[in-house]
Amino acid sequence: MTPSPAGAARPVPFRKILIANRGEIACRIIRTLREMGIASVSIHHAVEARARHVREADEAVEIAGETPVAAHLDIARIIEAARRTGADAIHPGYGFLSENARFARAVTEAGLVFIGPDADAIALMGDKISARQFAEEHGVPVAPSVMPTEDLPDFLKRAAGIGFPLLIKAAAGGGGKGMSIVRSAAELEGAARLASSEAQRYFGDGRVYAELFVERPRHIEVQVLGDGKGGAIHLFERECSVQRRFQKIIEEAPAANLSPALRDEICASAARLAAAAGYRNAGTVEYILGADGRFFFLEMNTRLQVEHPVTEMITGLDLVRLQIEIAAGHGLPMHQDEVTAHGHAIECRICAEDPARDFLPETGTVLHLDVPRAPHLRFENALDRGQRVTADFDPMLAKLVAHGPDRASATQRSIEALRELALLGVKTNVDYLARVLEHPAFAAGELHTGFVAEHRNALAAPELDRQTADRALIAAALGMREFHSLVFDVPEPHASIGPWRN
Amino acid sequence: MPFKLAIDGKPHSLTILARRPQLVVAVDGRRHVVETVDAAGDGRRALTIDGAETGFVRAETVEGALLRIDGRTIEVRRLDAATEASAAGSGAHLVRAPMPGIVISIHKTAGDSVRRGETVITIESMKLQMKLDAPRDGEIAEIGIREGEGFEKDAVLARLAAPASEG
Repeated sequence: MTPSPAGAARPVPFRKILIANRGEIACRIIRTLREMGIASVSIHHAVEARARHVREADEAVEIAGETPVAAHLDIARIIEAARRTGADAIHPGYGFLSENARFARAVTEAGLVFIGPDADAIALMGDKISARQFAEEHGVPVAPSVMPTEDLPDFLKRAAGIGFPLLIKAAAGGGGKGMSIVRSAAELEGAARLASSEAQRYFGDGRVYAELFVERPRHIEVQVLGDGKGGAIHLFERECSVQRRFQKIIEEAPAANLSPALRDEICASAARLAAAAGYRNAGTVEYILGADGRFFFLEMNTRLQVEHPVTEMITGLDLVRLQIEIAAGHGLPMHQDEVTAHGHAIECRICAEDPARDFLPETGTVLHLDVPRAPHLRFENALDRGQRVTADFDPMLAKLVAHGPDRASATQRSIEALRELALLGVKTNVDYLARVLEHPAFAAGELHTGFVAEHRNALAAPELDRQTADRALIAAALGMREFHSLVFDVPEPHASIGPWRN
Repeated sequence: MPFKLAIDGKPHSLTILARRPQLVVAVDGRRHVVETVDAAGDGRRALTIDGAETGFVRAETVEGALLRIDGRTIEVRRLDAATEASAAGSGAHLVRAPMPGIVISIHKTAGDSVRRGETVITIESMKLQMKLDAPRDGEIAEIGIREGEGFEKDAVLARLAAPASEG
């Protein structure tokens, strides 16, 4: 891991930190703690007692729970574990309790440091309505909308003011009833009347709602750091438009084909939002970006993000270290104009799932793991050979992150690493990810959140060619005892001239 | 006697044409010269097939082997006489879980006769209910799970009795 630039490490008052998480992110946090000379405490449910995050930590505490996930959500027991082991602080990772305001408050009340924002900031950003309102008040664009109304003339006037295309929905809606996309002012009144009458018929509530419809939207997010005293900087953007089942599978930094002016505008608005909120910690402001260059606030994640390594790779910063330093009261590591980016980084999320079956989760046992290694690669994981992959936790198994001097080389390096990676025993999306990266539309940076659906056919696994099939069959057969003996057990008449080999 | 394997349910046969001086194997009639044949065991291995060195990673499974070769993962299954007969015959005897989940209800008990397509078990997986049907006409030999129980993908939840003709 690259050490924090901006000079030497800043001493922190923590001797021991409990990680309220598991899997790859717990292992990644342990790595930084070790570099900082801070002892680590892992927590685990009984089913994961031998997991890597447990073995790699200096200490581990078992948390009882009806299900493994319930154990990782048990605020009282986790804080008790921190107290009992003498930890000074708790790092929540991502997921689980990382954006739980109650947890952040309970940690602080227990006299421990929560490595994250204060509970009020989590609560503000955790509520979509209050977050949207706050963003709007601080000059961060939100998608224009017309709130539910039965006053049709007023609705039409305000809807036309937003512009087109517009999405009209029944306020009480669901299932696509009373929903339509309006592309011009001429269609507006008819569509609104139809939506309203359908809404009345289906839901007994004729109120309709409209919002700007963003076609081929891109997901752009900005990494921010706040000191909790009104100071905030951004560490550039990431693009996470390649998604399936509404979850990201490929993320990159910087975003492709983003004009410098638009990038600056988006990044500056994120830093402004974090500063206005008096935000403390690393955080991510997410936006939706339309093809016309308009961008709108989506939400703010008040924690470390799964895809934070791509930002680390282009900036050379260690975000976990910065989180800890900020929690210790050190403030921001540098001024905005000192933050620099080099090259391009791409992260592929490797999941136990079957792309051919709508990405449904898969289970199995890791029979073999062979990971490509290179200075430009990071393989974030907590996998062990023989480990069972169950439905107990999230299907994400690992993250492969590749850096290159430019986007094309980062893409090529990712493809090569995916091809080389051997994770056998559970079906994964590894080959699918390589096909996405090989697609001409990805190379051209023509990304939007419907990418996976748009290119569904082109991204399907190609038919196995005869040559590869034959080689696979021969390679498989020679590993099987029965075939091996057919080859090597010399029949009687030949026994006198000795075995075939040696 | 050819050695039978399958990829994606498609059967392939391997026949040893020569052992010396080099191993020559016919795959579905296509002739291949194989060198460096000490490639037994799991892990990263290499073979020279028709003069080209082929690197691959192999892991043995209960049914056969998993291979990482030419940048893709391929599952190779052994086809022995029994499994081949059932594949060629009236369909599988097994009702398998297509994904992990729990059993919502069991509609049949051992000894019941079922028609192909008739629901044997209803499961819930990924918050979706799904009916698992009998793969062919026959008699339920065994239900291997109880209502409310969880299972992993590919678990055998019910088994049909082998038809008399297959002996």
